[in-house]
Amino acid sequence: MKLTSLKAFEEWQALLSEREKGASGVRRVRICAGTGCLANGSAQVKAAFEAEAIRHGLSIPLEFAAESTGCHGFCERGPLVVIQPGEIFYEKVKPEDVREIFEKTVLRGEVVPRLQYRDPNTKQAARTSAEIPFYARQHRLVLNRCGEVDPFEIEAAVSRGAYRGLARAFSMEPERIVSMIKDSGLRGRGGGGFPTGVKWESARKAPGRHRFVLANGDEGDPGAFMDRSLMEGDPHSVLEGMIIGAYAVGARKGFIYVRAEYPLAVKALQQAIRQAKERGLLGRDILGTGFDFDLEICRGGGAFVCGESTALMASIEGRAGEPRVKYIRSTERGLWNCPTVLNNVETWANVPHIVLNGPEWFRSMGTEKSPGTKIFSLVGKVKNSGLVEIPMGTTLRTMIEDIGGGVLKNRAFKAVQTGGPSGGCLPADALDLPVDFDALTASGSMMGSGGMIVMDERTCMVDVARYFVDFLAEESCGKCTPCREGLKALQRLLHKLCSGRGEAGDGERLREIGSALADTALCGLGQTAPNPVLSVLRYFPGEIAEHEAEHFCRAGVCKGMYWPRIDPAKCVGCGACKKACAAGAIRGEPRAAHAIDRAHCVTCGACLEACPFSAITAVRREDPE
Amino acid sequence: MNSQAVSTAEAPENLAFDLQDLFKATPRHPRFLLPLLQDIQSRYRYLPRASLKLVAEHLGIPESRVYAVATFYKALSLTPRGEKTVKVCLGTACHLRGAASVLDALSRSLGIPPGGTTQDMRFTLETVNCLGACALAPVVTVNDRVYGQMTPGRVAELIEKESRHEAD
Amino acid sequence: MIEITIDEKKVFVETGTTVLEAARSAGIEIPTLCAHEGLVREGNCRLCSVEVTERGKTKLVMSCMYPVTREGLEVRTDTDRVRSARRFVLQMLADRNPKAPVLQALCSQYGVVPNVPENVEPELCIRCGRCVRACETNGTSALSFAGRGWDREVTPPFHEAPGDCVGCLSCAEVCPTGRITWEEKEGKRSIWGRTFDLVVCERCHEAYATAEQLRHAGSDPETARLCPRCRKMAQQERIRLGTRGA
Repeated sequence: MKLTSLKAFEEWQALLSEREKGASGVRRVRICAGTGCLANGSAQVKAAFEAEAIRHGLSIPLEFAAESTGCHGFCERGPLVVIQPGEIFYEKVKPEDVREIFEKTVLRGEVVPRLQYRDPNTKQAARTSAEIPFYARQHRLVLNRCGEVDPFEIEAAVSRGAYRGLARAFSMEPERIVSMIKDSGLRGRGGGGFPTGVKWESARKAPGRHRFVLANGDEGDPGAFMDRSLMEGDPHSVLEGMIIGAYAVGARKGFIYVRAEYPLAVKALQQAIRQAKERGLLGRDILGTGFDFDLEICRGGGAFVCGESTALMASIEGRAGEPRVKYIRSTERGLWNCPTVLNNVETWANVPHIVLNGPEWFRSMGTEKSPGTKIFSLVGKVKNSGLVEIPMGTTLRTMIEDIGGGVLKNRAFKAVQTGGPSGGCLPADALDLPVDFDALTASGSMMGSGGMIVMDERTCMVDVARYFVDFLAEESCGKCTPCREGLKALQRLLHKLCSGRGEAGDGERLREIGSALADTALCGLGQTAPNPVLSVLRYFPGEIAEHEAEHFCRAGVCKGMYWPRIDPAKCVGCGACKKACAAGAIRGEPRAAHAIDRAHCVTCGACLEACPFSAITAVRREDPE
Repeated sequence: MNSQAVSTAEAPENLAFDLQDLFKATPRHPRFLLPLLQDIQSRYRYLPRASLKLVAEHLGIPESRVYAVATFYKALSLTPRGEKTVKVCLGTACHLRGAASVLDALSRSLGIPPGGTTQDMRFTLETVNCLGACALAPVVTVNDRVYGQMTPGRVAELIEKESRHEAD
Repeated sequence: MIEITIDEKKVFVETGTTVLEAARSAGIEIPTLCAHEGLVREGNCRLCSVEVTERGKTKLVMSCMYPVTREGLEVRTDTDRVRSARRFVLQMLADRNPKAPVLQALCSQYGVVPNVPENVEPELCIRCGRCVRACETNGTSALSFAGRGWDREVTPPFHEAPGDCVGCLSCAEVCPTGRITWEEKEGKRSIWGRTFDLVVCERCHEAYATAEQLRHAGSDPETARLCPRCRKMAQQERIRLGTRGA
């Protein structure tokens, strides 16, 4: 079972790879078992497939295999199913659909049209995922095994190339690996964008007997789930990267810090560690090279600030996750004051590819200062919502319109929020900006860890600023004055503005406090906390002014700061608004113009959301009924 | 809603005895503070007051440090939680798709504010900052069971389903 | 030794010296709140900011922790950016703690007027953490920070009288705002809800420590009859008189 030499590994890997190719005759179904699809019942779908196989007398797994795979990334369309041979793609599959799929597609290779993905704009059906723009335009390098292998089976990952990078790394000197990573230009994928090779080099050079490698799996940015999918769907990619990194910098112990809210990721990683150890790919004397390295998982406790590197280390040490002043780098004095390399999960997953294919290959993708690919979570008011991996330098427009299919319900694009709570909101004229580490920062946002939230005309930007400040005020550790007190001050101002109590000068006060906070806070959380507010002040000053001076919310979001009004010229009397109204404030007969009774309206916004004809708009409170 | 008093995992009289197995399995190093507290929390659905001193002694650290950690992390609670924790995700995608009104509806149906627990100790209502299931927004979980695309209209159905479910 | 400039003055310091100490050695005072000589630095109040220019880049850093490591470092302790940063920190603190004398003095120096928001109870604690660090340094750790964010506070566990407290008053001594108070009456000292027996020096008759404090330090209150000052004087007398030992 245990592989005790590089040769033994290579032979095993080749055997599995052959077997995988040879198995192309086996009819196979890949069912997404990521958190999203599981929530929509994919486990029952799998059970239904297995039941069908038995019913048809096919032996599992020799003649039929139903595999649970990691996240395919297109979560809104789940449960997702792919049938081999042919890569036939189905979405929103229910257990009741399985019999038909089995008889038509599995046995006869025919498609079931109603389960196929249809392009939201052209309405054309896609036979395979390669025909779906959402997938076709992606460059799934880091995600290449995600959704295609069973994450709980190491053999599946190895048959698709896992640990080949490690075997190659062992044939090199550690210093050579460090310079390869440096030459590749790989930059941290967690948001900071620090050159990974430089980080490794300074840890390697730092004095000290013990050193550590850490994986930041604390992905706390609301709206981002790249790391979740990677950890759930291809845990070995992370392990492999870390073992290579440990070998390169001389670490013998590593920790993967996973947030408490990702239990499936923890399970997948635990299983991966167990299986890797059994095979001699982790632990003592890895593949007979004499190199020892052990990995442990640390679960977070529900604190966003633990994604900050020094807070993460404090948490592993068994203390409250409070960041520390970082005038001395963690690569010199980090975990337990030892040289430490902390990288994001996605950064680690890039490492084996670079070692296997070389720095020039990596640089052939992306841009000069931001080579390689990046995984984004494209969510919000966009038609195709999910995980997208693309080369750096792709424009926002390509992402949102070509891959995302444009704004949901064909509403007007208003803004895209990038970089999570550390980033800002960019308006329509920023759409042609390339997405990389530097271009967005100049515009007042940042790429961050990859969260990309699309907003339409029904989004109030002042409410968005309030939302992010509320989030950060809740998550602030409270150690330093600017963040602890300053976020509270920002919070008070924004709540005032969003509840009709705005006063002249509130916007200016937001700017003053925001800039001072950014300049004086102790850690990255506080330093970047004002970005959402400051970007709204910069790009949507009109909305701030309206909230401040007129107590008017033109997006129709902030309660009591507008009235919804139905335009009789546009209303066709479909009744959708009346149905959505929980306050009984809408009157109207079918096919006749409806009207809103202000005496009952509670400005919940449901009618504005429900109307398919954009016949309802938000008007000022003073405007006549 | 079943308002009968349901037996909760009250902290037993001899906590030290009851925690023996956990202590035996945990090395006596301060770095195991958070996982040890998480294990105790899973067992009793909160951290019984007396457990803090016992943990401090086991790991060789002051009680004040255990208290600091117990009050810092949101996953830990010093007050008893319900059998089922209903978590409403307030991530950005969920917020944009109406999570606030889902939270409102749940709060009204259960009769408790966010952060509260029902009298019969069946349900605790919490908010959480992004579960990573953004494409299914708005998301609600009940003890790790995920409910996607929630609306205020589906709240009654969720509570009914979860009330019938056995405690897990 | 490294040569750096502070406010255009040339200063020589040892590698690793903090900018705060370097400035002091040049006669330049920088305001601080959370820094204390006897305690590990935390850099959390953010008051002691200065501008530093190194390798062509200028940034704002906290002087109480920023180490001098490179020749040619330029420090500026009184620029517009620095004053603005300090005013912001003072405003944030004073809006919650308008009565603390140390803050009042700093506010008048920097032209800051406290503005306590509606529904906010003014308090004296500024969360500098000196008391927590002092108690930790003493080896008792009766206090810690609890909670996080705006609600973060210094407290003994469960807000109850802490069993680990020995009544040494280290916390009260380092507290910059007077938040921590204690009482002494009839041979007893009370602090944080605990009451301790005071030990009186036989020579000068001062109550110099609590019994618990002495036990914690490894002394026996029964036999420790003299306070540290008197003990030293008694020792000097013995040397003078040519006798050593008990």
